[in-house]
Amino acid sequence: MKKTFTMLFLSVIGLCGFSQTAVIDSLKEVISNHEGKLNALDDRVLVNEADLAKLNKIKISGYVQAQWEYYGKDLVKTNEPTNTFYIRRARIKFTYEPADGVKFVLQPDFSTGNLSLKDAYAVVNLPFLKDWTLWAGQFNRPDYEVEYSSSQREVLERSRLIRAIYPGEREIGAKLEYIGSKIPIKFQLMAMNGNFTGTNAKDVDSKKDIMARLVYSIKMPSAGLGIDLGGTGYFGGNRAKTNQYVLESNGVADSVAVGDYLKKQWFGAEIQVFADVLGGLALKGEYITGTNSTPSTIASTATMAAKKADPNKVNNFSGYYVYLIKNIGQKNQFVAKYDFYDPNTKLSGDAAGSSVNYKTLTLAWQCYVNDNIRISLNYEMPQNEKSASVKNIAGVASTQLSDNTLGIRIQAKF
Amino acid sequence: MKIINKIAATLMVVTLFSGSAFSQAKITVKGSDTMVILAQKWAELYMKNNKTSIVQVTGGGSGVGITALINGTTDICNSSRPMKQTEIEKLKARYNTLGVEIACAKDGVTIFLNEANKVNELTLKQLSDIYTGKIRNWKELGGNDAEIRLYGRENSSGTYVFFHDVVVKADYSSNVQSLPGTAAVVNAVKKDINGIGYGGAAYAIGVKHAYVKKDANSNAYVPTAESIAKNDYPITRYLYMYLRNRPTGETKKYIDWILGSEGQSIVTEVGYFPIK
Repeated sequence: MKKTFTMLFLSVIGLCGFSQTAVIDSLKEVISNHEGKLNALDDRVLVNEADLAKLNKIKISGYVQAQWEYYGKDLVKTNEPTNTFYIRRARIKFTYEPADGVKFVLQPDFSTGNLSLKDAYAVVNLPFLKDWTLWAGQFNRPDYEVEYSSSQREVLERSRLIRAIYPGEREIGAKLEYIGSKIPIKFQLMAMNGNFTGTNAKDVDSKKDIMARLVYSIKMPSAGLGIDLGGTGYFGGNRAKTNQYVLESNGVADSVAVGDYLKKQWFGAEIQVFADVLGGLALKGEYITGTNSTPSTIASTATMAAKKADPNKVNNFSGYYVYLIKNIGQKNQFVAKYDFYDPNTKLSGDAAGSSVNYKTLTLAWQCYVNDNIRISLNYEMPQNEKSASVKNIAGVASTQLSDNTLGIRIQAKF
Repeated sequence: MKIINKIAATLMVVTLFSGSAFSQAKITVKGSDTMVILAQKWAELYMKNNKTSIVQVTGGGSGVGITALINGTTDICNSSRPMKQTEIEKLKARYNTLGVEIACAKDGVTIFLNEANKVNELTLKQLSDIYTGKIRNWKELGGNDAEIRLYGRENSSGTYVFFHDVVVKADYSSNVQSLPGTAAVVNAVKKDINGIGYGGAAYAIGVKHAYVKKDANSNAYVPTAESIAKNDYPITRYLYMYLRNRPTGETKKYIDWILGSEGQSIVTEVGYFPIK
């Protein structure tokens, strides 16, 4: 009996031992399976993280400006509309930053009837010179109002002066830029084709135009004041390719050798004052004076008389703009802007012909509805220099044009 | 057009005589995760003593706070790094001010090591090499023959930017595991014998502080009140509050309190260092 009981007891113990080993083995298998699954998940997470990191290097931003404009009567031909809705800008900006200090930017504009490439450039931080960057491609010329984004600007359009001397704002070329991290200086030096209007992909002459800008920033935190002072210089030329006749600024006809360069050179001074006064106030201005030229596009085979009638033009010009911007609380902004542009400083009145000067007062109100939406009310009141040539425009009864423009814009930005 | 002229002129006059004194009963604070525990402690104590005030604190990172300041969705931005020039330009464009920078505490960016790690001391160069992936094994630094596992912050973090600009000075290695907040970094290093992380001094609990020296010939320091005050610790920084405009009303009262003795004693209590 004892033997039987002992045998039975040992069998039970043995079975238990066997059963425990089996459970442990089975658990080991389960753990091993889960370990494998976790490792596979880990690998997948790493792959996903790597993909996400690549996507994080691409930034997409953009804005759409839809507006309604009402025009003064002299801006409209008989039976033409006095007001219109239209899309002023519809841009998407793609920025890719593959590594620290390297950036590629592409910005097309999709506004109706105006599909165009606005920006296409690469920016590289110069090795060992962390405050210096090299830009290459198509981008804004180095000027305050040019570089101040249309999505931020407090009035609907840039000054007449800036639109005249920097058409389309962009140029194709290369730029060296220094933004001091220790000293408050910004320096820009750009070499460009010098004739970009948005269509011509290549230069039309061999000489490159050079533009330089230097800005020094003064900060007075205790007074809540910041002042940026700067100067610009533009050194370039337009080649007289087909016509030897030149009409100088003073109205006197002259001549050059075909193939010579017509002068295109100016200097500017700028100031921006930012004051923390009852919600922020800014006073910004720029003055530019110099010589600009327009080469004749007449065929080289044209007659002398035809060439004389359509000569190259070299004009002395000057102009300035002043902005007064006052923030009203966090969401509103009042803007008064005055700008002046005289395309020919040597002649005035009737003698100026079509090169009359313009003084423009613009009043505007901005309402920042939220992070993305801004509503702008803008009233532009240009006053032209009185000249007989103005009165000769069809339908204009006075030497003073009635050409005020009221604009209401909604901007959506992301 | 004459009517429009009149409307425009009236608008201008009204504007010029109007102010911007929009008082705020509630103060919103957003930004640095490094500063969240400090900012929450400040808010808690301030509201306890000023029953009518509401101070709402959220983190997200210095970058997030600065964006919120520019977008007008926060009154105060906490940042563990100075504002970049590009960010100041955005403030200028939107609010026509340069913003107001207020240094409210000091911090030593601490290098966290697992307590079992044999390595105790690192130079700035070695830290840079570790975080750029040039040094990959602890044995190169006198430690065990084991791969270094890197823990760091997300790129919206001010600490990430500060550590990059002052220590790493090149691209971070792709092996850095980005974690949301210094507490997560500390936790990861606590569990990982081969881990290394960085972050605000106030979070270093359960991990070892590495002694840091400027170069091989300098003295090594850990962030202490003395080494921070004397600027001996090589990765010392200020912690900032940023505002769009000079503070007025309740916001001014709150900031004055933070910069006063009571506010600064909380800085020490939390584990950071007072500005004076």
